[in-house]
Amino acid sequence: MNTRLRQVLGTDTFLPYWLLLPTLIFIGIFFLMPLFNAVILAFRSDEGVFTLEYFQRMVGDVRFIEALKYTFFLALTIVPIQVITALAMALLVNAGFRGSRFFLYIFALPLGISDLAAGLIWLSIFTQHGFLNSILYSLGIIDKPIYYISYQNIGLTFLAVVAAEHWRATAIVMVILVAGLQMISKDYLEAAEVLGARGWKKIWYVILPLLKPSLQSALIIRTIFALQTFAVVLALAGDIIPVLAGEAYFWHFFYRNSHIASAYAVLLMVISIGMTWFYLKFLKSRMEVIRG
Amino acid sequence: MKKLSVLAVALLVGAFAGLGQKITWMSTQFVPIAEAEFVRNEILAPFAEATGIEVEFIGAEYAEFVSRVTAEYEAGKGEIAVLCALHGDFVSVLDALADVSGVPVGGTISETLMKLGQMGGKQAYIPLMQATYLMVANKKALEYLPEGADVWALTYDDLLQWAKNIYEATGMQKLGIPAGPKSLLHRFIHGYLYPSFTGYQVLAFDSGAAVKMWEYMKELWQYVNPAAPTWDAMDTPLLSEEVWIAWDHTARVKQALIERPDDFIAIPSPAGPAGRGFITVLAGLGIPATSPDPDAAAKLIEYLTTPEVQVKILQGVGFFPVVAEAAGAVPSGALQILAKGVSAQAASPDAIVSFIPGGISDEYKKIYKDTFFKFVIKGEPVDVEFLRSQATRLRELYLEAGAPYPAPDGS
Repeated sequence: MNTRLRQVLGTDTFLPYWLLLPTLIFIGIFFLMPLFNAVILAFRSDEGVFTLEYFQRMVGDVRFIEALKYTFFLALTIVPIQVITALAMALLVNAGFRGSRFFLYIFALPLGISDLAAGLIWLSIFTQHGFLNSILYSLGIIDKPIYYISYQNIGLTFLAVVAAEHWRATAIVMVILVAGLQMISKDYLEAAEVLGARGWKKIWYVILPLLKPSLQSALIIRTIFALQTFAVVLALAGDIIPVLAGEAYFWHFFYRNSHIASAYAVLLMVISIGMTWFYLKFLKSRMEVIRG
Repeated sequence: MKKLSVLAVALLVGAFAGLGQKITWMSTQFVPIAEAEFVRNEILAPFAEATGIEVEFIGAEYAEFVSRVTAEYEAGKGEIAVLCALHGDFVSVLDALADVSGVPVGGTISETLMKLGQMGGKQAYIPLMQATYLMVANKKALEYLPEGADVWALTYDDLLQWAKNIYEATGMQKLGIPAGPKSLLHRFIHGYLYPSFTGYQVLAFDSGAAVKMWEYMKELWQYVNPAAPTWDAMDTPLLSEEVWIAWDHTARVKQALIERPDDFIAIPSPAGPAGRGFITVLAGLGIPATSPDPDAAAKLIEYLTTPEVQVKILQGVGFFPVVAEAAGAVPSGALQILAKGVSAQAASPDAIVSFIPGGISDEYKKIYKDTFFKFVIKGEPVDVEFLRSQATRLRELYLEAGAPYPAPDGS
């Protein structure tokens, strides 16, 4: 870099900030501004008066408690299952046997599919004349179709949503964990083996603690996304299982009240921030603990 | 060169021949370019050939339509000779309309539909075309019809018994009502159930008749396919035979009838204790009081209401005929099946026509749907207090917007 340019941009100290600038502008325009607007919409009436009316109406909504319940229930069911499966998948991919990389591509396939499309794929499995019923019927296991997706059997419908979400979004957790696994220095693993730690012991006492920072990021990202789950639920369970993100969507697009839609969005944001804080506080990585 | 001059002369003669016989038709319908082209080329060109009257078609949005018609009326002089608009559009320009009761019609329009055009002490418009929601049944379901029930004039009790018979015979819930997030369930509740059971869509929301209606719906729901809350349209479940009987908008069942026209019939929606409630999206033809050529306008109206043109409109833009003779003139296939059902429904002697609410917040849809969700899908007992609070909110929406209650409530 020539001296003139260096003078304009400031010293090398400022270079990183210049490099960050495009990202900051992007985040500012596409995340912070809408976020700011949503908060204003949620608290300010069309006449410009500060009001809590929209939150009161949100809480008083017939579907609110249900939506809140299912949103949490879905996140609490899905995230632990996903993290465990993703860990198993990551360990397999990272195992280093011949062809183990092949699994990375297989596992990552659903990442390329939009969530709505994923919901529709699973819908074709679970409908009354779907693939699952056809297979069970042709094997002679059932003599008439089972209604998997049914308001009369919300448990089964919920499991169908969990299955679809699990299939669709576990890969992102796996990718983060694979990256984390690859950052673990071979020295630790070799040292562990020299000292006699193998198999489960090695995973439990060496790999997992070293993987904690990655696990933390994966948990935060997955939990936030799980709270926002919407398209898969919409496609599979329709109106049987209401969720908060869905209610925000309906209020905005069907009932055309952006204020109440924003109230839902703000509530989701507050829950997401709360969960992130929880993870940061209670899942401190070992490194920080040692350093601190 | 010679050819060109001949052409020029021909054009000039043509233009002069049409002079004085050129009228302007303003319409809030057929506005999309493809539809406007269809009207100009397929409908108006043959009319000009037959009568020598050139019609200039102008598509307009609601706001433009109202301001232009009102301005011409206030000026006492106008250029627009004839109007085409939805019922609700005409309501906004009622004063500016001439009485069209003397205008000849090209076919037979049912009394029910004709009456809807009577407003402000005159025939404000002549019905042109309609869109509606009705029932479609697989022919396999017909053998389970309850004894004495007429499939062309079902009651809600018949429907319940019918679905129950099928359930008892096949073990399957073969009745379909679209109740998914993007479904038109709210139309079924405010335009079909409520008017059929209570006679109104708003005024009797929390009445005793409404309580009975919700009790009925809970009972009927036992025979509705439990996947219904995931369905936005009924064509796919009809084709897959997950359901044998379904209710939906004509456009949302059409595909099933196109693919298997021999397997289905389209029938009127059922009648309740108050009558046969159904929604009509009705477009009509009116003549402004300031029309420069009411005679030519009347000729156009007569032409547009002939069975042949009505069928053309159905094929071109999917709106159904209002003229009884047209239903039989539709070539066989999906459209003919639907046209027969639409026509039978519109001609029902016990008809209670409902209009779609206009000018109010879309939140009214949520009020109907939420009540359904609570009582029917979640299965909670019918709670009068809740009905009352929903009714209050619903009336508030009309009050806030200063909008009149739509038919059958308002007049």
